[in-house]
Amino acid sequence: MGGAGVGIGLRAAHHREILERRPALAFVEVHSENYFAAPAAASLEAVRDDYEVSLHGVGLSLGSSDPLDPRHLAKLDALARRIEPLFVSEHLSWSSIDGRHLNELLPLPFTREAAAHVASRISQAQERLGRALLVENVSAYCALGPGEMSEWEFVSEVARRSGCRLLLDVNNIHVNATNFGFDAREYLEGIDPALVAQFHLGGHEARGALLVDTHGARVADTVWSLFGDALARIGPRPTLIEWDTALPPLDVLLGEAHAAQDAIRHSAATAAA
Amino acid sequence: MSTLAAAQREFARSLLEEPGEARAGLAVYRASVGANFAAALAATYPAVRRLVGEAFFAEAARRFAVSHASASGDLNEYGAGFPAFLAAYPHAAALAYLPDVARLEWACHDSESAPEAPDFDFQGLARIEPARYGELRLLLHPSVRLLESAHPIVAIREANAPGRDGTPERVEGPDYVLVRRVDGRAAASSIAEGQWRLLARLASGDTLETALGGEPSGAALAAWVSQGIVSGFTACAR
Repeated sequence: MGGAGVGIGLRAAHHREILERRPALAFVEVHSENYFAAPAAASLEAVRDDYEVSLHGVGLSLGSSDPLDPRHLAKLDALARRIEPLFVSEHLSWSSIDGRHLNELLPLPFTREAAAHVASRISQAQERLGRALLVENVSAYCALGPGEMSEWEFVSEVARRSGCRLLLDVNNIHVNATNFGFDAREYLEGIDPALVAQFHLGGHEARGALLVDTHGARVADTVWSLFGDALARIGPRPTLIEWDTALPPLDVLLGEAHAAQDAIRHSAATAAA
Repeated sequence: MSTLAAAQREFARSLLEEPGEARAGLAVYRASVGANFAAALAATYPAVRRLVGEAFFAEAARRFAVSHASASGDLNEYGAGFPAFLAAYPHAAALAYLPDVARLEWACHDSESAPEAPDFDFQGLARIEPARYGELRLLLHPSVRLLESAHPIVAIREANAPGRDGTPERVEGPDYVLVRRVDGRAAASSIAEGQWRLLARLASGDTLETALGGEPSGAALAAWVSQGIVSGFTACAR
């Protein structure tokens, strides 16, 4: 795929409609684990005939102190070989300890030990899969112990050490800036544009004093504004609209995708002027 | 032990086990983890959920999550132990059929993620002398699951599908159930006991001669091959 097209997260409820309507999208992204089973992988192959596909994993638990799960990696590898995806991405988080899975994207402490650990695991995964991974910054609601650096320094350190590239979730930056009281623009300033391969945009909700990354709402105005800053600072990249809970009609997602496309076009025009 | 491992262990412990109100951030994670597990269980066990009602199911799911750790990063693998949990759950004791309906729902879920099988090798079969057919072992498709129950679990599950009124066509008597994948979805059917036992013997690896035990079952075997229920054979001795 050339340039910086816009895609949407493809969820089971929209599968048939996407194949029937074939809306203009640069790519679609799916949760890798939902396509490990043979019939599901076959249905994704049918989508692959019309669209570039990005595999976005939620279960590899890259940041865990447990060993990487070879069975999970083997399934991801088989799926990637079958689908030949545009990207294979995972999260900069952990979800299991002592063999017990919480199946949630849990935060890492921003320490040198954690950065070295997760970077070595990303390297292992990249070696097993024979390709570079994209790793996504996650939203967080509490810190896992005291940190030694900022989140953006941590994210950059992991990417530099492992050779992975970043899937920068703009909504997650805004959510964490609110929850932890830092400046989202300072985060963007701290990221080397060369490390960034993709953007995510999604919706959040307020719960008390916290913002929660629910992927169940439209992209907020503050996040669109931050996306504009990200485009100006980092440049255009393939961008994805993510929506998981309370899934709306497909047209709502396509509307958000158009808005992202407009933002990218506007940014390019501003840069050229 | 590394600092990271200690921090993760402590975080998981406080998230899963600490009673009472959690601080705001931890409470978000706790709610999300609980909701994810409950949603995964509800997706796999819709008939059980309808039979017991939403509140009962939610409480059973909560207790199951406490006692049964998820063992995979893939939530689709979560909940294999739920039928056994229900069998030992005192609040469900009045619903004698419930654990078997749950077993059937897990079998359907598991069947849908089973591997594919290569097409039946008719040419290979043609190379074998008919006199030696009795020595063959037939292979059932990887998506085939066989269950028996003292209750009519297929009828109960079907009656509790969306759009049905919950009244089973059959309310008592045993069930011999064949589950297999058809067009990517699990299909459960009640079959005759004799046919079920024959399939069970084939599944256990009996040779055709031993499995048949002198009964003529050619028509059933041919149908199973054409339906893809029998997907292959091995000619070698074990």
